[in-house]
Amino acid sequence: MKRIPLSSRASVLSPEPAEGPKDARPGTHSEAEAAVEVGPGSRRAFARLAGMTQWFSKQRCALMLAAVLLVLTPALAVQPDEMLRDPKLEARARSIGKELRCLVCQNQSIDDSDAPLAHDLRVLVRRRLLKGDSDDAVKQYIVARYGTYVLLKPPFDPETYLLWFGPLLLVLTGGATVYLFYRRRAAPETAPLSDEELRRLKSLMDDAP
Amino acid sequence: MIAEIGLFALILALFVAAVQAVVPLLGAARGETSWMNLARPASAAQFALVSLAFAALIWLHVTSDLSVLNVALNSHTDKPLLYKITGVWGNHEGSMLLWVFILALYGLMAALFGKTLPPALRARALSVQGMIAFGFLLFILMTSNPFARLDPAPVNGNGLNPLLQDPGLAFHPPFLYLGYVGFSMAFSFAVAALIEGRVDAAWARWVRPWTLAAWCALTLGIAMGSWWSYYTLGWGGWWAWDPVENASFMPWLAGTALVHSAIVVEKRDTLKAWTIFLAIVAFSLSLLGTFLVRSGVLTSVHAFANDPARGVFILALLSVVTGGSLILFAMRAPALRAGGIFSPVSREGGLMFNNVFLSAAAGTVLLGTLYPLFADVLHLNKLSVAAPYYNLMMPLLLTPMLLLMPVGPLLSWKRGDLKDALRRLRFAAVVTAVTVAATLFAAGTASHNLMAALGLGLAAWLLAGTISEWAGRVGLLRHSRDEILHRARQLPRSAYGMSLAHIGLAVVLIGISGSLAWQSETLLVMRPGQTAQIAGYDVHLVGVDDNLRGPNYTTSRALFLASRNGDFVAAMRPERRVYDNPPEPKSTVAIHTNFFSDLYVVLGEADGKGGHVVHLLHNPLVPWLFLGALVMVLGGLVSLTDRRYRVGTPRRAARIPDEAPAASQKVKIPAGVQYAAPALAFLVLIGFFVWRLQEVSKGDTPDVVPSVLIGKPAPQFDLPPLYSGKPDFKTADLRGKVTVVNFFASWCVPCRAEHPLFRDLAKSGIVLVGINYKDKPENATAFLAEQGDPYHTVAADRQGRTAIDFGVYGVPETFLIDKSGVIRFKWPGPLTPEIVHDQLLPLAEKLK
Repeated sequence: MKRIPLSSRASVLSPEPAEGPKDARPGTHSEAEAAVEVGPGSRRAFARLAGMTQWFSKQRCALMLAAVLLVLTPALAVQPDEMLRDPKLEARARSIGKELRCLVCQNQSIDDSDAPLAHDLRVLVRRRLLKGDSDDAVKQYIVARYGTYVLLKPPFDPETYLLWFGPLLLVLTGGATVYLFYRRRAAPETAPLSDEELRRLKSLMDDAP
Repeated sequence: MIAEIGLFALILALFVAAVQAVVPLLGAARGETSWMNLARPASAAQFALVSLAFAALIWLHVTSDLSVLNVALNSHTDKPLLYKITGVWGNHEGSMLLWVFILALYGLMAALFGKTLPPALRARALSVQGMIAFGFLLFILMTSNPFARLDPAPVNGNGLNPLLQDPGLAFHPPFLYLGYVGFSMAFSFAVAALIEGRVDAAWARWVRPWTLAAWCALTLGIAMGSWWSYYTLGWGGWWAWDPVENASFMPWLAGTALVHSAIVVEKRDTLKAWTIFLAIVAFSLSLLGTFLVRSGVLTSVHAFANDPARGVFILALLSVVTGGSLILFAMRAPALRAGGIFSPVSREGGLMFNNVFLSAAAGTVLLGTLYPLFADVLHLNKLSVAAPYYNLMMPLLLTPMLLLMPVGPLLSWKRGDLKDALRRLRFAAVVTAVTVAATLFAAGTASHNLMAALGLGLAAWLLAGTISEWAGRVGLLRHSRDEILHRARQLPRSAYGMSLAHIGLAVVLIGISGSLAWQSETLLVMRPGQTAQIAGYDVHLVGVDDNLRGPNYTTSRALFLASRNGDFVAAMRPERRVYDNPPEPKSTVAIHTNFFSDLYVVLGEADGKGGHVVHLLHNPLVPWLFLGALVMVLGGLVSLTDRRYRVGTPRRAARIPDEAPAASQKVKIPAGVQYAAPALAFLVLIGFFVWRLQEVSKGDTPDVVPSVLIGKPAPQFDLPPLYSGKPDFKTADLRGKVTVVNFFASWCVPCRAEHPLFRDLAKSGIVLVGINYKDKPENATAFLAEQGDPYHTVAADRQGRTAIDFGVYGVPETFLIDKSGVIRFKWPGPLTPEIVHDQLLPLAEKLK
């Protein structure tokens, strides 16, 4: 069975600016929801190159672009119009956002990603906070939909014991190696001085001026 | 023509590498001097040929020869000359050529400066270099030919990613590769020593400067990458624990351990097997990084065109290089007899302690980087290991080492006096206590301030301890001024090198602590004439000039005036550029630094109402981070100039053995399993990689997120219809029939590709529901009118909220829901006939 690689599919990331707040259904506005707007500037480009047709969904966070380094999209992710008026609540939203993974941009938090899905999730986080959810409840809300994969800090459970205890295990292994190293070498390397040698040493020492 | 010359040079280089790999090795085994001596001209020829190929590729890029695929894909005629040159290594093929070029450069240097080396050791080491070069040249020629032609040539190229159109690209990758590839020298000499069965002080004295040079380059390369990301990406951070960053940090940790353990081999003739092991590990981790980044087994923001076929090749290369050397290690290391013994409290003991923690840190980064891959292979819950994990583990692992860092140099070799060392650190202890108290007093005792106090305290301890050690050695406060100056001059350069490197680390630590604890930011919409406050600064937006032209971009440039208490501080001009080719945005950050902190201004998008989104950051002590890294590199360079290590003048006293085939007869049967353990562990690792690669090549790429909703009831929703006048579509409507729910959008290209399949599906008697995702109704209806409307019901999810409840992360996605409303199957991505007929339909039949 052959699966189409995901990179060949346009993601949620690729819409033209489609839905503005003006288009939003009446009656569903909330402070957070008012901001549901897809980031502008995104475009669906496809590069046609001498017979080869390649679909570049550039919004897959440059996964398809060949480049040596740092190919993050410029990170100016959180937009002012998303922010909550209550600074305390907004601060909580920011810290939650830093712990949730943007699913379409690799290894970025939703706080760092300007992907539309990340934007939607940021708005959702804020909406849950406004409804009075605790930080954990908000995270669980997202996890219930996307799995523990969205948590940038992996959960502590039997599947991750090795991950969490690994560093300690490594230090202990190092310690044990050092201990064995000393034990093997503890055996006296040279025979102690014989009586004759001791006598000579003493006489040499005594002779010294 | 130029491209063909380059390709031909590469092919010739491959043959030269084969000769260089085989003949000197045989010569060393048979004691044939002329065979051994072939290694040197071969290295020179190798360098000449690879340089020719590299120059050819640069020429093709500079002249924009678009009939070359690599140029067409990665360049554009409108690019400034600098980026035409640096763009050569801004892509996979070119960067591999840079890698091989640097490898050949090191080979040439070893051949030139290694005149005084024992001929057999030199022949074997250069032969190993030849093997590595052979592997990489073969890799380039078979999978990544930078000279491949394109016929017909396109009118113009695709251009270079704007983020790479930065002077940083000129320096960062070359230095990084000088570091990675530099470790190949230590590796080659380690393998040569294993073949000979002998490691001695002369070996260490030769290997150490090369390792140190590589370490300096790698440190500089990493620091530059970090700085680059700091000033180009506009996120205000400098390290993200992305797999690619980890791939450079792991060899750095191993290389740092190696630089230290090689001292013990040189001075005390012990820890030989361990040092050899580290030399193998440092280079292997460099190779592993290459594999992880370019094979597609892990996801990373640093995008190389991932290609499992290349992954297979690099994996084979990694297996041969690392596996082979580890097997050799298991066979030969037990025969390396250790020299001097020492007590746990001694200089050697301190260096060993340093090695334990540095290695554990490297191991932890490796574990964190590979854990998602293990989880994928073992079908555990898919997980992410990111910054929160490393930010917890690294301080835990490195704090003990930092605590002991000032103590180690105060201990004497063989047997040290801990009490005396601690007594000499009284001054440092006082400085540390004062630093911690002052930090807490000034900043308060919130948790981030506690962390900062700990970090700054450690830095103060290291700084004051290092200075105390130097003061003790020159007899500060004990001698006359002339005597002190005399002693200071007499101290070897390597002592200054160590002090500088340790001081540099302390400064880096200050930068890390300050920026992690006290970064502040403001995000707002500003109109010209408005002023925002951050960290005591008033930042006034004068205006924004739109549509300014750069060489190959259009830009909006803002003018901000920063002031503090009414005093003018700086004029700052952040930009927001859109490049012509490829048409992508890039923001140019304006940074004002006063050495203690950075004021950092990022210009965001216009809001269409005369305002601009502005991101203001205040980054305390970040300049120290980069400055500290430079001081560390300086320390390494100073140490390199030490008379004993000066490259090219290894001591005449180095023993030159007259018999070449050494040790091989003397080798005993391995004494313990511990020497075989790394090879076995590596075998398991390779097993994981092979398994994962095979899954990735079948399409199970790491960015496929399995649904957690399989077997769970469909979420609650109530969506309006796409066509007005129809009823809403609700969760309850799913009851009693087998339903296929397809999320689609008119703007989604793959949706068009899969669309015809739904006609077949609709015929099979399954209820087909389309949910139109974040679309304009008129676009969606036009799309369905044009492509045909196979759906029984079409609902509109304008906000994308229901999609989130379904766990959709990209369109198209398709769900199969049974009669009781439970989700039974999900396909992320466009459907194919195989999936429909082999999976979806059979399952639907069963559920009916």
